[in-house]
Amino acid sequence: MYRDYKRCGARGNDVPAALLPPALELRGLTKRYDDGTLAVEDFDLEVHDGAFFGLLGPNGAGKTTAISAICNLIRVTAGEVRVFGEPITSLKARSWIGLAEQDINLDRFLSVRETLTYHGGYFGMGREQAQERAEEMIDAFDLRAKRDVRAPKLSGGQRRRLLLARALMHRPRLLILDEPTAGVDFELRQELWRYIRRLHAEGTTILLTTHYLEEAEELCEEIALIRGGKLIARDTADGLRERYDATDLAGVYVKAMQAG
Amino acid sequence: MTGYTGLLWLARRETLRVSKLWTQTVLAPIVSSLLFILVFGLSLGDRIRNVGSVEYDQFIVPGLIAMAMVQAAFANNASTIFQARFDRYVNDILSAPMHPWQMTLGFVVGGVYRASLIGVGLLALAIPLTGVGIERPLALIAIVALGLVLFAAFGTVVGIYAESWDATTFVANIVILPLAFVGGTFYSIELLPSPWEELSHFNPIFYLVQAMRFGLLGESDVSIWLSLAVTAVLAVAAYLWAQWLFTSGRKLKA
Repeated sequence: MYRDYKRCGARGNDVPAALLPPALELRGLTKRYDDGTLAVEDFDLEVHDGAFFGLLGPNGAGKTTAISAICNLIRVTAGEVRVFGEPITSLKARSWIGLAEQDINLDRFLSVRETLTYHGGYFGMGREQAQERAEEMIDAFDLRAKRDVRAPKLSGGQRRRLLLARALMHRPRLLILDEPTAGVDFELRQELWRYIRRLHAEGTTILLTTHYLEEAEELCEEIALIRGGKLIARDTADGLRERYDATDLAGVYVKAMQAG
Repeated sequence: MTGYTGLLWLARRETLRVSKLWTQTVLAPIVSSLLFILVFGLSLGDRIRNVGSVEYDQFIVPGLIAMAMVQAAFANNASTIFQARFDRYVNDILSAPMHPWQMTLGFVVGGVYRASLIGVGLLALAIPLTGVGIERPLALIAIVALGLVLFAAFGTVVGIYAESWDATTFVANIVILPLAFVGGTFYSIELLPSPWEELSHFNPIFYLVQAMRFGLLGESDVSIWLSLAVTAVLAVAAYLWAQWLFTSGRKLKA
């Protein structure tokens, strides 16, 4: 299911996977919001270094809450989050995570180039390094013509590309994509898939949430299904199909949610 | 990974925002305060007797500069934080490898920068127009630093608690502006009847105006040390409040 050995890339040397800390470790994660809503309860999850992991579930299942907990964006009620063995409270752990959120949340005062450069700076990159990397990202995501345009003046597809470029700006070891292709046209979706696959091949661990089941099936090595803040199943797409006696992931999803 | 690079970039972002919007953030407050100096000082100044030994057109300059700086420091931080929360790009900062104190400081720098530009600009115009000088530069620097930290931090707090734009403008228009007007900008509180004279001592902006007046004109209704102490205590309190919000995540994180 997992690679036996970590590819050369993020860490440089081949190290037995068993000796590596997981890329992501959630232990007993519980989040109760101020209005009393219990979004996730005693949630455990482990994602291995180098994995391409999908998190599926209906709206309100707790996917975004779990991601927010990993990225220091919510006040966790209970539990522990570790990234590559480091607690999420450490700056080192936070520097290893790249997040592309579900909603477009770009700084309205900054141009494309500034959005990328400043993000790199927040994540510890020096000026030259950040500027150089920003130019790379601008080319990689086909934003050259919009380099000096502010975010509110970009099209929806360009904003989505910029959001992903920003998440990748500081070369994260763990990339979290929260519904990255929501509202994106077919062509851009294919383009994003190609880029995400390449990142994974280069050794980046990817955690993906999506409502497009074919996207999860196409991209993810392993899939977790969650509902009501609890993990109800976790396996490869083949494993899930076998377990739920379904021909495709949509069938698995329907059966798992009904049973869950 | 220490977060210092992030702090520098956040401070740079906040100053860049001020520079990009310079007509709104710097020019407009300078023009409106300059109009006060021209109308109240130069036009009406001839008809109003001196306040103490100071000519009226010079007397109002410290208070007007203090008012403009205080409002700018507050408004800058209330709006930058509220906008970042409203558009949710504050998440890019909250998820970054920075300590909460670095985030607080990075935001405060923006308000201090904007208000300093306004203060320097206004002073540069007021000196040739009114002949006002800088009698006590050290006291001036100290009170400006404390006052700007106080109102930039308070703006940060309000920007974090605010649920709408109206809330930030409400505090600016209903709290800060009236306090600035009754803070002794246009008069000496010695001229006020009781209890208004005594009540003025509960106005934090009064101490700021008095210390600014001491720094520029060498005169004040109260001791410079009292003014510095009151402003320092309030600045520390406001700053710690802002930092507590970043540390606890209250109102910033769900």
